[in-house]
Amino acid sequence: MSKTTNSHLERQIAAQRKKKIVVAVQYTLAIIITLIVIFPLYWMISSSVKSQDEILLLKPTLWPHEIHLENYVNVFNRVNFGKYYYNTIVMTAGILSSQIITGVFAAYGFSKGKFKGQNACFIFVLGALMIPLQVTFIPIFIMCANWGLSDTFMGLILPECISPYYIFMLRQTFMAIDDSYIDAAKVDGLGRVGIITKILTPMCKSTLFTTTLVTFTSGWNSYFWPKIIAKNERRRVLTVGLAQLKNTFAGQATMNNHEIMAGAVMAILPVVVMFFVFQKYMLTGYSKAAMK
Amino acid sequence: MEKKSFIKPRTMSAIKDFVCVLPALVFLGIFTYYPICKLIQISFTDWNLLNERWNYVGLKNWIWLFNGSGTKHLLNSLRVTVLYSIGELTITLLGGLLFALIFGRLNKSFSIMRAIVFMPKYVAMSSAAVVFLWILNTDTGILNYLLNCVGLPSVDWLGNRNTALISVLMLTGWRAIGYGMMIYLSAMIGISRDYYEAASLDGATAAQSFFKITLPMLSPTTLFLFVTTFISSMKVFQSVDILTSGGPYRATEVFVYTIYKYAMEDFRMDRASVVAIAFFVLLLIVTASTFKVSNRSVHYDS
Repeated sequence: MSKTTNSHLERQIAAQRKKKIVVAVQYTLAIIITLIVIFPLYWMISSSVKSQDEILLLKPTLWPHEIHLENYVNVFNRVNFGKYYYNTIVMTAGILSSQIITGVFAAYGFSKGKFKGQNACFIFVLGALMIPLQVTFIPIFIMCANWGLSDTFMGLILPECISPYYIFMLRQTFMAIDDSYIDAAKVDGLGRVGIITKILTPMCKSTLFTTTLVTFTSGWNSYFWPKIIAKNERRRVLTVGLAQLKNTFAGQATMNNHEIMAGAVMAILPVVVMFFVFQKYMLTGYSKAAMK
Repeated sequence: MEKKSFIKPRTMSAIKDFVCVLPALVFLGIFTYYPICKLIQISFTDWNLLNERWNYVGLKNWIWLFNGSGTKHLLNSLRVTVLYSIGELTITLLGGLLFALIFGRLNKSFSIMRAIVFMPKYVAMSSAAVVFLWILNTDTGILNYLLNCVGLPSVDWLGNRNTALISVLMLTGWRAIGYGMMIYLSAMIGISRDYYEAASLDGATAAQSFFKITLPMLSPTTLFLFVTTFISSMKVFQSVDILTSGGPYRATEVFVYTIYKYAMEDFRMDRASVVAIAFFVLLLIVTASTFKVSNRSVHYDS
């Protein structure tokens, strides 16, 4: 009898020890991976405040000897970073507002509206998801150039101002809301705009918010189309400007990496700050898409 | 108001509902469907942006692409794109799953570490790419410095035909792996504890319950990640553009980069259009076949 209790106890102790080892391994691996993943960001920030001499040392320094914040000012003097910021903000705001307005109305029409050919129209919208800008950019570029939209905000915003993805996500959310709310609102004399702004939008706040965050980041970080339509300095956006920054050093890019890194830090600042503020929503935005 | 009375209220309501979706339909017609038709038209011309006029030239561009000097570039782009996609899929799916297992502990310190691993997704590709250019630099980059420290020779990461694509994958993988992890984790949390309790009562080992419970239950998530990552990885452009510009010797010239180069650098709209159409057809085939596979092999819990 005592023998069996003993072996049982031993087994339990062994199991506990094994569990402890697993936890220790898990912590060690997680910490190592986290350090590796964060390293490029750390390297960007620490290089951005080093002096040129320190950048060129054969033995890289992990921690900067002196802090040189003037790198940030120098970048502003070298290229028109302020202008790039302004262009990016206007472009993102334009894309965001038009996608929200058109998206909300279209989602209403597809979820709560009733008209002939509704399904066919919805398939028309979904089909557009299969045709990326990377395929169609040539005719769109020619069209925009013919309309005189090269190097304008209109040119930057127009091809992105309706997103089938946004419509689809909102429609799925609106579908989940019971029709009785809509009917009650209609009895109270609310029109379509009223139903959308006073009932559907407030009820779907969180999805609206997370989907909008995804749209904001992809707008802010967009590169392909801005590079094609805005070749001039005048309407260049941050992402394109940063990629071209190294060319302004005429082959001396390596020697000026401290300034390039300062530019890189400035370009990501708004989105990274937003990431930490809205961290919780950022993830649900994507995992909701995964459920659908 | 007078006019309104001729139309039944129900019809009026349907018209108003239709007006809600009309802007989206018109817009997508102009900026998505019309360009596809236009693309097909351009593919039968000799449209070069440097010339004033263009003419129809029949199948000339198609012959150039499939049975001419363009064929080897097409095959090269196809090879590079497929290799790249395989790489990104492996990193996102396998790496993401592995990370999900490692970072699966639900406490404060792990949630901070998870946030850090997920964050690169939000770092603009441009910023990430210039940092990787600096890290991967042959002479002054820190990666080669570390390799030298452990006695390995320096590698010309971006200039060598064999390592250039790996370098691009390092950059995109760095941004994608945390995303894969988060998607897998949120799915894992959704798996009912009952399954694991039943399994452990039956004496299943951790490995057994992973392969018999976790993995099959994750198959819808895996499918979602597979389809979205596959399609988005085929459209890769920015990382290639900034890191290698398609070089060296076209070793990283993915499909979109080829189209971009013909259109925006050589101004050959005709050639760019045929490559774009070929790319579009490829995308359709990939999408259709992934959905077909999914219908057969995915296990849905219901």
